[in-house]
Amino acid sequence: MPPVKKSVKGACPQDCPDTCAFIYTVEDGRLLDVKGDPAHPVTQGRLCTKLNDFVNHHYNPNRILYPMKRVGPKGSGEFERISWAEALDTIRDKWTGIINEVGSQAIMPCSYLGHEGILNGLTVGDAFFNRLGSTVAEKTFCGVGREVGTFLTVGDSTGVDPESLVHSKYIVLWAVNTLSTNSHHWPFIDEARRNGAKIVVIDPLRSRTAAQADWHISIRPGTDAVLALGMMNIIISEGLYDLDYVERYTIGFEDLKARAAEYPVSKVSAITGISEADLLVLSREYATRAPAVIRLGVAIERHRNGGQAARAINCLPALIGAWRHVGGGYIGVTMAAFAINWNAMTRPDWIREGTRVFNLNNLGQVLLEASEPPIKSVMVYNINPVVQAPDQERIKKGLLREDLFLVVSDLFVTDTAKYADILLPAAMQAEQTDLMFSWGHFYWTFNHKAIEPPGEAVSNTQLFRLLADAMGFDEAEWQRTDEEMLRDFVDWDSPLMAGITLESLKERGYMRAAVGDKDTRVPHAEGGFTTPSGKCEFKSSLAAQGNFVPPPFRAGYEAFQDGSYIDPLPSYTPPFESADSAPDIAARYPLNIISPKAHSFLNSQYANEMKQRRREGRPVLIIHPEDAAPRGISGGDTVKVFNDRGSFVGAALISEDTRQGVVASYLGHWASDSESRSAVNSVSSDRTANMGRAPTFSDNLVEVEKIAAASIAAVAPRRTSLPERV
Amino acid sequence: MPHVVTENCTGCRFTDCVTVCPVSCFHGDDDRIYIDPGACIDCAACVPLCPVHAIAEDMDLSGDREEWISVNAEMSRALPVVRVKQAPLASASARLEALGRASRE
Repeated sequence: MPPVKKSVKGACPQDCPDTCAFIYTVEDGRLLDVKGDPAHPVTQGRLCTKLNDFVNHHYNPNRILYPMKRVGPKGSGEFERISWAEALDTIRDKWTGIINEVGSQAIMPCSYLGHEGILNGLTVGDAFFNRLGSTVAEKTFCGVGREVGTFLTVGDSTGVDPESLVHSKYIVLWAVNTLSTNSHHWPFIDEARRNGAKIVVIDPLRSRTAAQADWHISIRPGTDAVLALGMMNIIISEGLYDLDYVERYTIGFEDLKARAAEYPVSKVSAITGISEADLLVLSREYATRAPAVIRLGVAIERHRNGGQAARAINCLPALIGAWRHVGGGYIGVTMAAFAINWNAMTRPDWIREGTRVFNLNNLGQVLLEASEPPIKSVMVYNINPVVQAPDQERIKKGLLREDLFLVVSDLFVTDTAKYADILLPAAMQAEQTDLMFSWGHFYWTFNHKAIEPPGEAVSNTQLFRLLADAMGFDEAEWQRTDEEMLRDFVDWDSPLMAGITLESLKERGYMRAAVGDKDTRVPHAEGGFTTPSGKCEFKSSLAAQGNFVPPPFRAGYEAFQDGSYIDPLPSYTPPFESADSAPDIAARYPLNIISPKAHSFLNSQYANEMKQRRREGRPVLIIHPEDAAPRGISGGDTVKVFNDRGSFVGAALISEDTRQGVVASYLGHWASDSESRSAVNSVSSDRTANMGRAPTFSDNLVEVEKIAAASIAAVAPRRTSLPERV
Repeated sequence: MPHVVTENCTGCRFTDCVTVCPVSCFHGDDDRIYIDPGACIDCAACVPLCPVHAIAEDMDLSGDREEWISVNAEMSRALPVVRVKQAPLASASARLEALGRASRE
């Protein structure tokens, strides 16, 4: 009998708002094709430049297939195959020894969203490590600062449906490069434009999205709160706000008005670098071209004032009554549409009283400086912190500690996995079951296991079952199948799950949460904000409790929150590193670096695939002509980018796509790929923003110098600047 | 590093490709279509839809075929967007056969 091709429904596992529905094609146990589902309203039959070669990613010959142990020096990447039994025995013996010697808090997990599934993603190891008694790791790499700012202002809002964007007339894409990192929103935006909408992009860099927009407003990094406050001042002083909406559905207007008045247009222009004329046009158009919508990207939080910037921006839609209209309001994350039993996943009830918390943005510092007890073992899964986390050099130094027992589970020997003592083989998405929520639309997506994992690779859920067994944990929870876990992890009785069952999800592949119809949906037309007052809080009542990280991003833990002061009104604090706020640093390092996501990589994932690497080219440094000239830098020159924390090299790409004083280098390239053995996070600091302990990747000063005569233009992208929109 | 429409489109203009493009990057005239390199996001959704395999990634072109990169850039700038599938040219089926591709039902 000839082999039969079959189609299997799947879901993209990546940390991306689009969460595409897959169709796998399988023949004789082999994955032949992965496509976007043409019937899915958001996927629309397309994947992206990152995922198009997902089949080859599964069969990449560099996959880790078996457990391995280190046989060379730390960080050498020299490993030898061992059995699962030996790997688990080694881990159990090491961890038991550490627990007996210095206590369980000397062990710490390090993970994030390398996989985004309900089962294998953000929280997959939390219950295990809570049961073990490890230090609680806060994982706030992406979005938590923005989300805390949003939460204080409008509560746990589902926001505008991206499919409702077709009804919008004024779309502000703020701190987001939609076409590179959220491209499945674009068809709705493009349709809105054909219906007469204006597309505005606010970004220090002329991104792909900015190049396709109707208007790109270039802003100085870290000053977005000033822009929002300045817009509010113009809108209020010119009487363009919605008095009725403000009176009925907001609190703190008089205080907000007074705060905004501190930001007259001349001051706003001086701080943000946006002309006074542009500030007036933007404010007036935004307030009068209803429905107006703001899509706010994660990049908003990546500086000292990140949380307050998100908060200030979240005040705008209520001020102009944008929420009254279909397609008017705000889109951040759509997570509130997904009824998830976080505590069933993380098991905070297993955390022992007094357990300490470390934030993973400080990983290098924690590895090098933590005491009583020091960190003696780290288990890394769903993350590649050497590339992704700030302060790369200290992380590398910490991972080189001879007395650190490092366990890494991954698909490939990443820059982090190289340092492992024990390396474990992880399964890829077609090889496992999962259920995906989305933070960019309202559809649950089920991923059926389509093929067997290669070698001895296991899913993350299976990994923690094996570890629980090795550690002698005897709770019934460790015996659950993946499907039984899903029944526990989703609140199937929630009104948001009306009409949705696990059975129907498995059959149909994707289903929309019960959040209303895209063509009529107005979630806050009559207030209904889940804040303490039930209103949009211009003046936040929750600010009094101080800074915090939502429990799902800290293993469910409620204790030992940050607690630092939060101004109850939207406010501006200058960046940690800028000419005005840190003149001594700026004297030596005058350029502000930003590190947006690469178009062809998903964070550091796919940066080991030749096709994606060819497409992306070598690491680049985008530098303005006025900054390049005095440094004698020509296009294609190899440049060294450095500050006191570290350095990396890239090919100079001289372009007015960036502002004078701002340089940019895309994130994702592996450090081991570079002649400097470092990447852009070598120069980033581990300081966190003023809410949600968000990283401050855009709040770093550097200097740039030409280091070699040899040009590497041959491998740099062909174009030096994005062409104008046709 | 965008995708480009190459020689096989000429005389065919099936335009199945335009129906799936998320960024409306196809532009065309009476003879054929081109991709705007500034708008293309390399999603490659159009590639399998072309019956005559006319769409390629620019980095896969070599020699004389590299000229399609500048041709696409210039022509897309000069021509209107094509968003809706057009009727294929009269010569399309003959050309499809000449190119050795199986005719579509």
